[in-house]
Amino acid sequence: MIPFDFDYYRPATVQEAVSLYARLDREGKRPLYWSGGTEIATFARWNRIYTEAVIDLKAVPECRALTVGDREMTFGSALSLSEIHDSGAFPLLGETGGGIADRTSRNKITLGGNVCSRMIYKEAVLPLLLADSDVLVAGASGVRRVPIGRLFDRSMRIGRGEFLVQFVMDAGYRTMPYASVKKRKASAIEYPIVTVAALATGSGIRFAFSGLCDFPFRSAEMERILNRRELPAGERIRQAAARLPAPVIGDIKASAEYRKWVWTITTEDVLKALEPQA
Amino acid sequence: MEAIGRSVPKKESFDKVAGSAMYTADRIEPRTLHARLTISPFAHARIAAVDASEARRSPGVRAVLTGDASDVLIGEEIRDRPVIARDRVRYNGEIVAVVVADTEAEAMRAANLIRVRYEPLPVVNDPVEALRPSAPILHEKLAEYQKGEGVVSIPGTNVASIIRVLKGDMDRGWAESETIVENRVSFAPSDHAAMETRSASAEIRPDGHVIIETSTQVPFAVKKFMARYFGIDPGWIVVRTPFVGGGYGGKTAIQLEAVAYLASRAVGGRKVKLVNTREEDMLTSPVRIGLDATVRLGSTRDGKIRAAQIVYRFDGGAYNDKSSDVARAAAADCSGPYGIEHLHCECLTVYTNHTFPAAFRGYGHSELTFAMERAIDALADELKMDPWELRMRNAAVPGDTAPTRDRLTPSNLGDIRTCLNRVRSLAEWDDWQVRQVNEHTVRAKGIACFWKNSSMDTDATSGAILLFNSDGSVNLVTGVVEIGTGTKTVLAQMVAERLRMSVDRVHVKFTVDTLDTPEHWKTVASRGTFLAGRAALKAADDAIRQLKSIAAVVLRADPDDLELAHDKVFVRADPAVQIAVKDICYGYKYPNGNAIGGQIVGRGYYTQRRMNPLNPATGEGTPGPEWNVGAQAVEIEMDTRDCSYRLVKAISVNDAGKVLNPKGALGQVTGAMAMGLSYASREAFYYTDNGTVLNPTLRDFTLLRFGENPEYVVEFIENPCLDAPFGARAMGEHGLIAMPAALASAVSRAAGVRLNRLPLFPETVWRAKNGGIG
Repeated sequence: MIPFDFDYYRPATVQEAVSLYARLDREGKRPLYWSGGTEIATFARWNRIYTEAVIDLKAVPECRALTVGDREMTFGSALSLSEIHDSGAFPLLGETGGGIADRTSRNKITLGGNVCSRMIYKEAVLPLLLADSDVLVAGASGVRRVPIGRLFDRSMRIGRGEFLVQFVMDAGYRTMPYASVKKRKASAIEYPIVTVAALATGSGIRFAFSGLCDFPFRSAEMERILNRRELPAGERIRQAAARLPAPVIGDIKASAEYRKWVWTITTEDVLKALEPQA
Repeated sequence: MEAIGRSVPKKESFDKVAGSAMYTADRIEPRTLHARLTISPFAHARIAAVDASEARRSPGVRAVLTGDASDVLIGEEIRDRPVIARDRVRYNGEIVAVVVADTEAEAMRAANLIRVRYEPLPVVNDPVEALRPSAPILHEKLAEYQKGEGVVSIPGTNVASIIRVLKGDMDRGWAESETIVENRVSFAPSDHAAMETRSASAEIRPDGHVIIETSTQVPFAVKKFMARYFGIDPGWIVVRTPFVGGGYGGKTAIQLEAVAYLASRAVGGRKVKLVNTREEDMLTSPVRIGLDATVRLGSTRDGKIRAAQIVYRFDGGAYNDKSSDVARAAAADCSGPYGIEHLHCECLTVYTNHTFPAAFRGYGHSELTFAMERAIDALADELKMDPWELRMRNAAVPGDTAPTRDRLTPSNLGDIRTCLNRVRSLAEWDDWQVRQVNEHTVRAKGIACFWKNSSMDTDATSGAILLFNSDGSVNLVTGVVEIGTGTKTVLAQMVAERLRMSVDRVHVKFTVDTLDTPEHWKTVASRGTFLAGRAALKAADDAIRQLKSIAAVVLRADPDDLELAHDKVFVRADPAVQIAVKDICYGYKYPNGNAIGGQIVGRGYYTQRRMNPLNPATGEGTPGPEWNVGAQAVEIEMDTRDCSYRLVKAISVNDAGKVLNPKGALGQVTGAMAMGLSYASREAFYYTDNGTVLNPTLRDFTLLRFGENPEYVVEFIENPCLDAPFGARAMGEHGLIAMPAALASAVSRAAGVRLNRLPLFPETVWRAKNGGIG
């Protein structure tokens, strides 16, 4: 039961969505863009979110795009995690998204919604970081295209009234060797203790992590260390751990100590799987 | 045609799979008002002030109730609990205020507007803390509370109940023991997590009838206790319960019914409906009991256990309700299925600032079994003896006595040895118990066995009515609540078997309505098929007698010469002389229009023989009718680096007495096994130092999901209970009982460290392995 009433809008174009937001915001309706809606609906039940108007982006065609061309592939922000998984378009993205929540929820949860989540995990962002995706962001002044590295820093840094339209990345990434490993406290469906996503490119293995710190990240510095093949894997991981961007979190899912240990062995497994054996 | 022993599909399944089965909260009536709760964010605090003025002004609000709405104290064993907290809250989630409004949304909005000023008090966060001399006392008026028979409290402490069970001569037991081990186990409370959250509605009719609809396992107890609590003659109370979406014991406590009643009273008797949110169902409504226990065993060198000293410290939560009775059930069967001559058990149920417990599938037995079986494994280690062999050597047999000093017989005791033999073979126990699969992977097995008696009131009774239809079919009416166990289908099988008719022509009434349904004590303790089964068979016999009586007139034969079968009554020696049941079950009409007789109504009841309560000072008594048994095994595969593990196989061999419905029994045992594995591996509430719950949602309180189940192997042996219908033994809870112990045994073996705390999270195992506490 959501104890407050709100209006529901379903714009058909990017422009319409942006102008609706501006108008509703002026009217003090505290509008929210709505995609899968799972987080808004559940947080509203707990009084952790309030709005008087939601703008559903699922009728905006660009937000629903899924194309794989010779050079680029494009994923609309309002594609559900299940759709992306089932399409097989980018297995690393499909599988990482496929570890989030359960199938019923993933039929609703969208790519854009997950990466803009208020939760700390946002695991669907990991493959986007690894593939150096560009992000198309719609706002009052039109649609801009920004490399994700400039937009995502702990969370998506977008302005008031802006929304994510698409993620566009080099199609070459879809066939590169990858790993996506999610370790949970006990159950098959749960938030991660740690999720490790990795992509083996020609210039080395890229790593991105969720669950370890209180935000998902890809660290160039840690990546450099993890690729120093002259060192044994264990030593590289130890050195990389010293370069974490924030403290390892400890909560009811796992203590910081155990979380770090699980991250260590998972990263070791990933290195073993993706690194050509000497 | 035989109905018993056949996998008759559950009669309610058709409605359930079509989505048309109705549960308590499903009925929507425009005239119903809705209640929502304001609950305490503190585990222990004084309520300094409640400001409901803004809530009262909120649109649609009809009434706001706070603690001063009633000074009645409720609770089954100890009347220690206000319906709405008065002056003080004792657990996180306790009801502080109730808003009644035209719609649920309006009620919820207003409930959010109630401002409560709390003054936090020091908390008691587990049963061991509760027993420290310096612990805050949660119930200063413990001495004044009304208590049930056999409840001994210690006023001035947090001990709500103390029970001692004494048997034999401990000095002799220890003297005869060459090896002594002591083992301590503990686990925190967890949730029942039934699919249907609890709900209730109440209405006080202009003529004075109080109509309660509730998702309960105990509609007749609701009637009895509501009458007692609020001074109403029972005849004026009508309780209705449709299908219940899973109970597991959690729907045995009376809570929302009393809230809905007060709410209805506050709005002139209009119908008020209250439905728990999932979070309230986890925080506000009762949970599974927690335990801290120490078991000390003395044994001869060849593994004969001579003495057992057991101390239970049950986490009785903020209010007693049934927790001391769950504890009593554990104490009564504290030895587990072993013949131990010298025994001493001290069983404490203590108040803590946790949500109060209700019954939970197994009623104290998975708890006692975990404590005892972990100690048996420790003893096996100490003796360097195969843990299967140690169990076999000590298995209770007819002629032994139970801790209650009841004599065990082939009928009142299941066959433990055969169960153990079968599990040994099914688990391939002798082949290996632990083995390395590869560098980081180990497989291991664990075994455990159990017994369980049913705890019940000594005068617990069950009745049944059979009403014939004009087509010769019958309607079976019993007070058993259909909570998903398929009991009513099994009862229909019994009636069909006795009436020698098709089970398809036995219709059952699912909704229990205390106005017209014969009483069934409670749908608990795996007693449905036994109590209601005996009653239904008596009702069938009564109907047969009536059918023969009228047939005798029509056929001009002595009733003793008649037989009933295939919807006909006929002369045994000359079956050609016969009459169809449909022609006599509504009376008989002669060709000329004259008529005799009327609708046949069979009735029957059953009360268990020679039961008496447990003496809390000695443990003597007969609080339950029979000890049903089984042996179980679990196989896991562990990654030895982070101690994460996968459930590979779970095995249960149960003495079923007689399997009445094979698929139904398989479903019951398998479901119970899954529940046991789930709570042992992952289910527990996390409390802050301040006693508040960190995970009152299914996001953070995880359950075993469909794809995580191991391979289940379930086998039944049939050693009949002579009192039971067709010899069938209790089955509903028994698949769960030894699962936590068997899992702990397997995980301990894989990790190479003795684990005694639940849940067995990989991190818990990892810590124990690295020198922490298991």
